[in-house]
Amino acid sequence: MVKYRYFFFLFLINAVINVVNYVPRILIAYRFKGALMSIVISVIIGTLIIFTATKLYSRFPKKGLPEIYHSCMSKPLAGILLLLAGALWYMAGLITLISFVDISIRYISPDISRLWIMIGFLVAVALSSRLSSESVLYGLEITMLLTLPFILYILLKMLINPAFNWDAVMQVGTYFMHKPSFPSITAATFIFSGYANLVIFNRVFHPIKRYRVWLLGVLGLIILLISMLVPIGYLGTIDVERHVFTWFSAADSVRIGLFIVERMIFLFYFIYLVLSLVSVIIHWHVCLELLKGIGSVKKKKEGPQMKDWGYIILFSLVALFMLSLEQFSINLLGMWFLNIRFYGEIIIISSLFYCYQRNRRARI
Amino acid sequence: MRKAAGHQTIPEWLADHLKGFMDLEQRKLGAREEVELVYIKSLTDAELINRFVLTPFFEMNELKSFEDYLASFPGTTKTDKAEQAKESVLKGFVSITVKDSTYLFEAIKVEASSISEATSEAIVQGPKDAFNENIYTNLNLVRRRYKSDKLKAEMSVIGNMSQTVVAVLYDEDRVDSEVLDELKKRLSNVSIDILQSAGELEKELAGRHFRLFPTTMVTERPDRVVFNLSEGKVAILIDGTGFSIILPSIFNDFFTAMDDKIQLPMVGWFLKGIRYIGLLLTVTLPAFYIAVTSYNPEILKIQIALLIAGSRATVPYPSFMEVILMLLMMEFLTEASLRLPKAIGPTATTVGGLILGQAATQAGLVADVMIILVSAVAISNFVIPLNMMGFTVRVIKYGFILLATLLGLLGVVVGLVGLVMYACGLRSFGKPYLRGFALDYMSKKRREV
Repeated sequence: MVKYRYFFFLFLINAVINVVNYVPRILIAYRFKGALMSIVISVIIGTLIIFTATKLYSRFPKKGLPEIYHSCMSKPLAGILLLLAGALWYMAGLITLISFVDISIRYISPDISRLWIMIGFLVAVALSSRLSSESVLYGLEITMLLTLPFILYILLKMLINPAFNWDAVMQVGTYFMHKPSFPSITAATFIFSGYANLVIFNRVFHPIKRYRVWLLGVLGLIILLISMLVPIGYLGTIDVERHVFTWFSAADSVRIGLFIVERMIFLFYFIYLVLSLVSVIIHWHVCLELLKGIGSVKKKKEGPQMKDWGYIILFSLVALFMLSLEQFSINLLGMWFLNIRFYGEIIIISSLFYCYQRNRRARI
Repeated sequence: MRKAAGHQTIPEWLADHLKGFMDLEQRKLGAREEVELVYIKSLTDAELINRFVLTPFFEMNELKSFEDYLASFPGTTKTDKAEQAKESVLKGFVSITVKDSTYLFEAIKVEASSISEATSEAIVQGPKDAFNENIYTNLNLVRRRYKSDKLKAEMSVIGNMSQTVVAVLYDEDRVDSEVLDELKKRLSNVSIDILQSAGELEKELAGRHFRLFPTTMVTERPDRVVFNLSEGKVAILIDGTGFSIILPSIFNDFFTAMDDKIQLPMVGWFLKGIRYIGLLLTVTLPAFYIAVTSYNPEILKIQIALLIAGSRATVPYPSFMEVILMLLMMEFLTEASLRLPKAIGPTATTVGGLILGQAATQAGLVADVMIILVSAVAISNFVIPLNMMGFTVRVIKYGFILLATLLGLLGVVVGLVGLVMYACGLRSFGKPYLRGFALDYMSKKRREV
């Protein structure tokens, strides 16, 4: 059983990692077409979703999605839903991973082959995702505590830099009243979907009555604004759309004067590498547990089992295969994912509601 | 009369079974030889036997009163089993057969060093005592500092041949009963022939074959044991070794010196921070050097990059060779100065230091920066207060060197993430090894109080 604070960390890592997962790219694409209004709307939607979801999960104490589904549905239906959910989580991890291989090649190590980088990532990620849910959360906490000060430092450094162009931000701000657009809403809600990992981690949480959801809403709003507007401040209102990884290009424009590392990009890159790896570990851990829950939910032996290896090798092979995608397809994949994920979450929440209703009726 | 084992008497049976013992002593006392002593000279205290067995025997007139006198000693037992007599004689008892009854008189001579200062975990202020080889002395050292009736000590014997006495200490009120049960289960499963050191038992208890980190603490300081007992942990004292085991132990425990309690809080935090920085440096510095020289020189400030490149200009081989060579040299130096007799120890360090520090760079075989780095790595390794962790860290850095050689900076970061996740997956007797610095431990204690 773990404490409530880990819920914040789950939320936070997903919110921070959005930079790698193409969220700013989509928001920036719609910067003159209502992205700002979409952010406001998505904050409302995201907060409501978290509120509903945490309420629902607290009705199923110590149960993950597999247990909940098996308690209220026929076996094949539960299996299919779990498989789909697993695929969703697998995709979330995969996209982070592939885009990070791409970032590594572009910004840090052009002389190491993509294959080697991917293998290096996969070894760390695959081995770690077999750990128990508690262990994954402890790892999350430690990495968040270690990296958050650096993230704050980077943000501060970027915002007080004289090269930061507030005029560009103001100009985009004038498009605030523009009609919101649907793709940017679904993309922006991504940063709120850290809660969704509860599908598995709900097993290890103490049942908590009160999630301070409004705090997450405020935090989400700030993070979304920053992740959309800071690159605009550095790269300009028009040019910003020419960069694939806008944040990395923006971070590359900052110089650290008093440190052994000269350019901000390196610090930024390594902090995000750590965060991305941990985020992938979490996503794949959830995916692994969901897939294991397809057949039945009977608790077998404690701890990692041999069966995990099959899934992990499958995960890795698919990831290696996906390496052959060129950047355009990866982008497309990322955008699709952001859309599908939104509907996936709604399906999960409505199915939870269905289960809750059904179980309650059964009890009466 | 006098038939204990078959047709033999106990002294005869003992003499038969302990044949070939150079130091076996058999004596018959009195005019009619009705009292027989059997004991092993090297295990017993001759003074004790003289004073409490021989002298009274000749001073007393009646055999009956001598028997009563013998039986009145605490630690003396009466037995009619030859097997038990043999075991006791092997432990240092004297078997005294008076007519047809046999008494086992305790005359154990313990050769143990006296209490000295802790050497493997030195501290500045605070108690200096270290455990010695006698378990009763060690118990005394702990009990003297922990005057509570809640402190329980359970004795058991481990080791088929060595028959080592092991004491499990815990505070009844504060101890985590899950941990205690788990420990007892594991202790009963231990089956080794010889138990001589805390490290051996630690390995047996931990159970997992491949581990990077120690999951129980091995310490020679009574004050550390006492402090941990008060935190609800369990300590194991082992006869014959000056080290005890504390469990469960989390990562942070290995970075706690007993000094931290004594210092002002701010100083304590600072010292602990220094140790963690030392850990990070000693693990990653060599790997960073390889990555920065061979893969990503552009990361550093231009002056530093030029400096490193300049000092490496004469070095004929790639950076990872340089690092491995120098680090190995440093390991040799550490090992050598550890094992050498005190008289020649300084020679090794002087010669090694001079050659490594001066000649190698002048010859152009090694970069100047590399020398600084090796020294920094060595020194920051010694910052870790508990030796077991220090040794572990010494090994881990080679893993990072391998990663850096293969993947450059990426490898180092991937390795760090992997290491953190690995440590998070570890458990010490069911307690998470790397949970946000054991906060829940404290809060649990507070809740109960």
